[in-house]
Amino acid sequence: MASSLGRFVARWYSVPLVLAIWEILARTGAISRRLMPSLVEIANAAWAALASGDLQFHASISLGRALTGYALAIVFGILLGVAMARSRLFDALFEPIFSFGYPVPKIALYPIFIFAFGFGSLSKVMMIFLECLYPITVNAFYGMRAVDRVHVWAARNMGATQRQIFWRVLLPGAAPSIFAGLRVALPISLIVVIITEMIGESRGLGYYISYVSASFEYATAFAGVAAVAVIGFTLDRVLVWLRNRLIFWERGAAFIGTN
Amino acid sequence: MSAAAFYSRARRTALGLALPLAALVAWEISARLGDVPSYLIAPSVILASTWDMATTGELWQHTSNSLVRALGGYAIGAAAGITMGLLAGIARPVERFYDPIVSLTYPVPKIVVLPILIAWLGSGDASKIAVVTAAVFYPTFINSLYGAKGVNRIYVWSARNMGARPIAVFLKVILPASLPQVLTGLRVGLALAFIVTVAAEMQNSRNGLGFLVMTAEDSMRFDLMYAAIIAAGVIGFAGDRLLVTLRRRALAGQAIGKEGAHG
Repeated sequence: MASSLGRFVARWYSVPLVLAIWEILARTGAISRRLMPSLVEIANAAWAALASGDLQFHASISLGRALTGYALAIVFGILLGVAMARSRLFDALFEPIFSFGYPVPKIALYPIFIFAFGFGSLSKVMMIFLECLYPITVNAFYGMRAVDRVHVWAARNMGATQRQIFWRVLLPGAAPSIFAGLRVALPISLIVVIITEMIGESRGLGYYISYVSASFEYATAFAGVAAVAVIGFTLDRVLVWLRNRLIFWERGAAFIGTN
Repeated sequence: MSAAAFYSRARRTALGLALPLAALVAWEISARLGDVPSYLIAPSVILASTWDMATTGELWQHTSNSLVRALGGYAIGAAAGITMGLLAGIARPVERFYDPIVSLTYPVPKIVVLPILIAWLGSGDASKIAVVTAAVFYPTFINSLYGAKGVNRIYVWSARNMGARPIAVFLKVILPASLPQVLTGLRVGLALAFIVTVAAEMQNSRNGLGFLVMTAEDSMRFDLMYAAIIAAGVIGFAGDRLLVTLRRRALAGQAIGKEGAHG
């Protein structure tokens, strides 16, 4: 008992430590109280924002946009990645678009998206779709390519049809890599939704955070940041949980894990 | 290269150019015919005006503003991320300190703190550099950590056995062995640095490419808007190529027989 408590403390001590340092800095006024509100003030502000329903309202809008764009990117990204891995023609057609376009900051295209899709949710969803499409497609492509040939040969030898090979061999073989792409794309969807809402919008968490900090309500702004943190962390946990359920044969995902 | 290989390569290049070229031609024709919305000005016009702005230096001013922010934040964030990551990879206490903090905050988009950073540091370069630093820290830290943790113990043991001091073990064994992962982190971080810079400038700035894109859009100066978009794309792409080249050189001895040489 004592040792498991000890291990728990050893594992997590740094989080309360950092929070305590924050609280001390805020309380002693080493940094202006206005700029760095104490945790109690932030908690109160979060409670007030929850009670008025503001936080849930803006969070649900941001979440809806992020997940719509993300879901679209999953569908098209996996389809495109699989098509590129399976067909030489698709590979030749799309490979340059993905390898050249990958390092380009596509967020700069956002104004064009505003003209094309309007100021509302659609331009944001499409921007999220585009940014998430890249890592998902590329990872699906490499995953399909990396499936061990021997497995395909073995399946064929045992009389599997093309369909069966795809669903039973190629897709499961590529699944770890596909999930790695999904995990890279998830925070991207949140980045893009927040930044596009900060640029020009009257709803969503990005707007809410920049609005309240422009009105000097920093405690509320930190509450908004905490809400984004909770959403980001929860979605990531859900994804890892899903990955470990679906890819039960390969428990590779480390707690932090980029690959 | 044999004739057949040359032929198949040429075919591949031609196919690769097909879609972008077709889109450009369709865009050019429809822009000339005038049956597209006004923001889709013809690619030839975009190219000419971008070239104009590049040669007069108008574009360069904003590009250099963005570069200072992106590279400033990148340098600080990557230096901190690599140092801390490698340290955490070899020293358990350091890893235990960072692990919960990093894993809790890793999936959080760092850009959300921008409005608060602007309140703290003003809307000049400092707030943007700070947010880029935060964004770059994570991928460089995590990759360096895994790089250092993945170093084959036997190398460390044999170096120790042969009397190498801890510092020599770090510089001569751990650093080179974790270099591939460190460079992967640097590459992810660089792409992020440019994205975050442009995004931060779009949100709140008085200069830089992100600012240029937004003001050009507001004043319907579409030629300026496209020039800024192209400049952002070029620096993002060029930075990535530069890192890939550096990586290939740095890993010249290690990449033999690995596909990873491609990056």
